[in-house]
Amino acid sequence: MPEASAAPATTVALVEDDRATRERLAASVRAHGSLELLAEYSNGSEALAGLVLRAPDVLLVDLGLPDMSGLELIRFAAERYPQCDILVISIFGDEANVLAALEAGARGYLLKGSLQHDIAVDIRDIRNGGSPLSPVIARQMLKRLRIPGHGAAAKRPEGEEETALTPREGEILNAISRGFTYAETAQMLGLSVGTVHSFLKRIYRKLAVHSKTEAVFEANRLGLIR
Amino acid sequence: MKSALRRAAFAAAVVFALAAGAAHAQDPAIQVLERGDFLLSDALTPPPDDAPWQPVQLPDNWFLSHPGATQVGWYRLPFDLTPDVARSTHGLYLPRNSARRIVFFFNGAAQGGNRGYGDPGARNWSPPLITTVSRQLLRPGRNVLHVRVEAVPEVRQGLTRVVLGQGGSARPLYELRYATQVTTFFMFGAAALLCALLAAGFWLRERSDTTLLWFAITAFAWAAAAFPWLHGAFTPQEFYHGPLAFAVRFAYAAPMLVLCLRVAGDRWPRTEAGLWGFTLAGLVLAGSLTEDRQGGVITYWSVAYLAALFALLIVLIRSQQGLRRGASRLLTAALVLAVLLNAHDLAWWMGWIDYDSYQLAHFHIPLVLFAIGATIIDRHFLAVAAVERAKVELEGRVAEKAREIEANYARLREAEHDRALALERQRIMADMHDGLGSTLVGLLGAVQMGKPPLEEIERRLLDALQELRLAVDSLEPMDGDLGVVLGNVRHRMRAAIEESGVKLYWRVGELPHVSYLTPQAILAVQRIILEALTNALRHSQASTVTVSAQAEDGWLRIQVADDGVGFRDPGHSRGRGLDNLRRRAAGLGGTLDIQSARGAGASLVLRLPLTQQSASS
Repeated sequence: MPEASAAPATTVALVEDDRATRERLAASVRAHGSLELLAEYSNGSEALAGLVLRAPDVLLVDLGLPDMSGLELIRFAAERYPQCDILVISIFGDEANVLAALEAGARGYLLKGSLQHDIAVDIRDIRNGGSPLSPVIARQMLKRLRIPGHGAAAKRPEGEEETALTPREGEILNAISRGFTYAETAQMLGLSVGTVHSFLKRIYRKLAVHSKTEAVFEANRLGLIR
Repeated sequence: MKSALRRAAFAAAVVFALAAGAAHAQDPAIQVLERGDFLLSDALTPPPDDAPWQPVQLPDNWFLSHPGATQVGWYRLPFDLTPDVARSTHGLYLPRNSARRIVFFFNGAAQGGNRGYGDPGARNWSPPLITTVSRQLLRPGRNVLHVRVEAVPEVRQGLTRVVLGQGGSARPLYELRYATQVTTFFMFGAAALLCALLAAGFWLRERSDTTLLWFAITAFAWAAAAFPWLHGAFTPQEFYHGPLAFAVRFAYAAPMLVLCLRVAGDRWPRTEAGLWGFTLAGLVLAGSLTEDRQGGVITYWSVAYLAALFALLIVLIRSQQGLRRGASRLLTAALVLAVLLNAHDLAWWMGWIDYDSYQLAHFHIPLVLFAIGATIIDRHFLAVAAVERAKVELEGRVAEKAREIEANYARLREAEHDRALALERQRIMADMHDGLGSTLVGLLGAVQMGKPPLEEIERRLLDALQELRLAVDSLEPMDGDLGVVLGNVRHRMRAAIEESGVKLYWRVGELPHVSYLTPQAILAVQRIILEALTNALRHSQASTVTVSAQAEDGWLRIQVADDGVGFRDPGHSRGRGLDNLRRRAAGLGGTLDIQSARGAGASLVLRLPLTQQSASS
């Protein structure tokens, strides 16, 4: 994982079908010295083709693409290019969409309509360990990845144990869900900010695995897989 | 229906067959002595042949032939026997023990009589009488039987036909008569006692049904009437010879008539009182009159009873017109028979029919009791059927009610749903109007008025977007956790906070669950906190802002405090905005308290209840 400050410019690729938004985002990236715009795509297939040629450090993806679901693109990119950090472009940053993107392998979201400066901050954040997690989403993740022994664990899919939160991970998500920043959380729990970041990365991974096992479990339950 | 009639007809046929086939079987071994002579004399041995004998025809009812006080008289009855018949023992049979004292003399020698009859029935229910005639007393050719009779004409005493049978040939006649007159009587007594006990038992379970009680009383009265005649061993002499015996014998009449009236479904208090009076008067009369003068009482009694039965029959027939029930027809048939049987016995009493006839009135008691019992049982089953019908009907009504309630409930639910939808629509409209709408209108106004700086337009547009995002956030699942709501406000304001350079202290602890965090309530809380934070960041020139939230005495206390310039008059300065916030807090059932002084920073305290009956704002 490259450290941001002294390293070469962070490469950024952009997938957005709305031209105005795309241009604005591109301008934001270009305006920032530490960022380098690698490519901009107006649809999924273009992006897929471009990614094969060169994977960026950061990929910005709009969920509503004309030719494919943004989630599919995220899933593909997250699997193929684990070093690439993916951010979802969203107007509202609402729980349902963002959580689905996080499950698919995204690491955070960018709000459309943010100030240019903020977009740069978001990209910097994600290179430093992850963009701030919204309290609502932290709360939902707490609910999904229950700490073992909590709640009715009886009728849950296999592999639940490995995706369940450790107590420490639970504490971190709990603090975030109450509005604390990563730095504050780290201080409260006596950790370094970096440790919090790596905990969060583990949590994201668990979320992705959990969503897959959950899908398998659901499919089993529905008789789709034998 | 038809079978009931057939049954009644059959019963009547049996009764009349018994009455008609009484004595005179055409058996050559049997002689019926009907002709002879009579002499009023209280001699103890047969009077001589030259006494003033008068020819007489048997049977001889003294009420008709010698009315008046008790007397003693002699009968002389000649009969012939062939030599070989004369050598056998004979039986002497009287269809009824018809006098107080009877003694037989065969060819001058005393041989039997009614002295040996120890049971009271011998007098009161006129059982047949049989005695053995030793063959030593008989001779071939002409024989003479003298009969000494002491009789009470008032109670229809006298002498019946005399039947002489060779060997045991008279015995079957005696037994048939005994079975009809006496055995049935005892049987009816036992049956009535059983009925009385059963009815009493039922009545104890069902006190409200007085017909059961009257049924028990009637049956018991009849059993009591029969009891003293069982045997002399059970009953003291004075009881079965005196007026008490007479009283008991008729005591069943009034309860039975009352019972019939009640079963017919009518209560006639005057008639019932009359019946009781009639019974009481009869008892008093019977108790005060000697036997020689009881005849008149019995006559009136019998006539009255017969009339009462007849009247009852009419009442019953009229009251049950249209009621085509087997049981009520049975009761009517039983009463018809009762009237016939009592009429028969009255006719005998009055001397209008043969003196040797059976007495049959007691047969009406079991018939009537049976018919009334059947009526009561029938009524019981009618009631059961009615209950069953009522149950079915009730079930139908309950089911219908249930359907109605369900339909009402569905309508109510639908109305509730519509109302919720309308409220939500209203809320969204209000939010759009107050938030995004007014922001956009304000911006449009500013643009139309002139050329506001681009930064101003951008700021306002960002505000509008912020409004919209808060509205979207209010729909997110917060799970009743106010900490998440507060955290979300901070998250949304992250950029603004960073930009302002103000140091934010975040002191949000674990907060108890809040029950009323609807989207509406979430939005209200978000707006209050957003407004407070925005004010602190934009206007207070503060270097630090502290947001704290904790539970306190069953309330949630949320404070936004800054160390900025403050403002002098919390009520005045930025008044409208604060009024709005206060209104929102009140809508949540909470309070908003703002304290500030120039140069001493500002503090906004929002207090919210943990639970709420109904949130409205």
